[in-house]
Amino acid sequence: MSRPMPVSKVMLLSLLGALVLTLMPLPDELAPARPYWVALVVIYWNLEAGRLRHLGQAFGLGLLLDLLTGTLLGQHALSLIVISYLTERFRNRLRFFPPWQQAAAVMALLFNDRIVQLWVIGLTDDAWPHWSWWLAPLIGMILWPWLFLLLDRLRQLERLQKT
Amino acid sequence: MSFTAGTWTSGPGGDQAARTARLMVYGLLATILMVLDYRGGYVSEIRSRTAVVVEPMLLAVEAPFALGRRLGEELRSRHELQDRIALLEQQLRGLEAELIMLEEFESENAELRRLLEASRRVEVAYRAAELMSIDLNPYSHRVLINRGRRDGLEEGQPVIDAEGVIGQVDQVARNSAHVILISDPDHALPVRVRRTDLRTVAYGTGQINSLRLTDLPMNVDLEPGDVLITSGLGGLFPPGLPVAEVREVTRRSGEPFARADARPLGRLDRARHVLVVAAQAADDELAAEQPLDDDGTEPVAEQAEGEP
Repeated sequence: MSRPMPVSKVMLLSLLGALVLTLMPLPDELAPARPYWVALVVIYWNLEAGRLRHLGQAFGLGLLLDLLTGTLLGQHALSLIVISYLTERFRNRLRFFPPWQQAAAVMALLFNDRIVQLWVIGLTDDAWPHWSWWLAPLIGMILWPWLFLLLDRLRQLERLQKT
Repeated sequence: MSFTAGTWTSGPGGDQAARTARLMVYGLLATILMVLDYRGGYVSEIRSRTAVVVEPMLLAVEAPFALGRRLGEELRSRHELQDRIALLEQQLRGLEAELIMLEEFESENAELRRLLEASRRVEVAYRAAELMSIDLNPYSHRVLINRGRRDGLEEGQPVIDAEGVIGQVDQVARNSAHVILISDPDHALPVRVRRTDLRTVAYGTGQINSLRLTDLPMNVDLEPGDVLITSGLGGLFPPGLPVAEVREVTRRSGEPFARADARPLGRLDRARHVLVVAAQAADDELAAEQPLDDDGTEPVAEQAEGEP
């Protein structure tokens, strides 16, 4: 069903960048509101380039993220497969939304993800997250159009270089 | 802008069903992993295996920020540095004077113990470490320090800062280690109330600024302001390290036990330099007198300036 695509440097770089941004030190007040970079990048590549569509890829990335951030093993894996599944499910609609509408849809995805993660956090008896934790989807929405433009431009450059 | 055609033509029903099935399988897998991780750490094996891959990535992310911090220090004006040196020297003199007094006490203490034929106090060696600046998941109550197996760290060693206990070494990689903070909901620490010698256990609450004491008798002699120190029971923590200060004691009628809320004295969220209690050379004067470390003598007083 799927033929192997050549490995895109831009994709690897964007994933790496997302991981770095996830680990980047932030002041304590802002840390809970850190946008879910990896999810944003995964959604972008799924929607616009039709890559990273396999749930297995999302799962692997999630596990890597869990190991890097010292989270309960499987928490990000679960959250990313749900995001990947939903993105794929509504892909055909989302792709042709105007940018701000698309951003709103992305926020809905991220918000849904917060609920999934809250479920895990609640079960593991941690304290209720700080209120600013709920800001992360909003920040994700604000970032989305810019991330979109940036990655689109990079992808275009890469394509031009190849031809 | 033209979209490159997707690699798959997303077919109708059948494809979707297969995908849903896969979602179920992966979801189940993730859940199983989480349960295994949560219940008794069956996956610590996986974690320590993958540390080989994960650690270099963490160090690579850390490097530019460490460099930035270094540069920031380089750029500080000469004047400012001189001021700080003066301040530190002043502090050092004060501490040295105190130390002389303490030496006096120590010899006196040894004398008394000999008279009482009590066992010798456990000697403790410290190893300085610095927190790495990268952020882990804020809900995991873990921090990374820049010392690892290579520096002789082992799982279970206590980690303290100048004010008190902050946690315990949890997972050791080659050049770094995870420290589980005492505020982690899974963490329990045997403590003693300094004023009354009452022994109890302080549990983490998941809040960085609070510990919980449960199962206290209703008539317990405990007041806000009482200081909790490690009791040394359990064998991991040497006795006498300050842990927390009681903030509030609640005796709710209808409940069999009183509870108390305590504020950790160690700066769990702000400490930059920490000490790992590296070894307990019990009956060996020599081992205790030779500092284990040659480069780990960072001044603890520096802690005051750390993160913003």
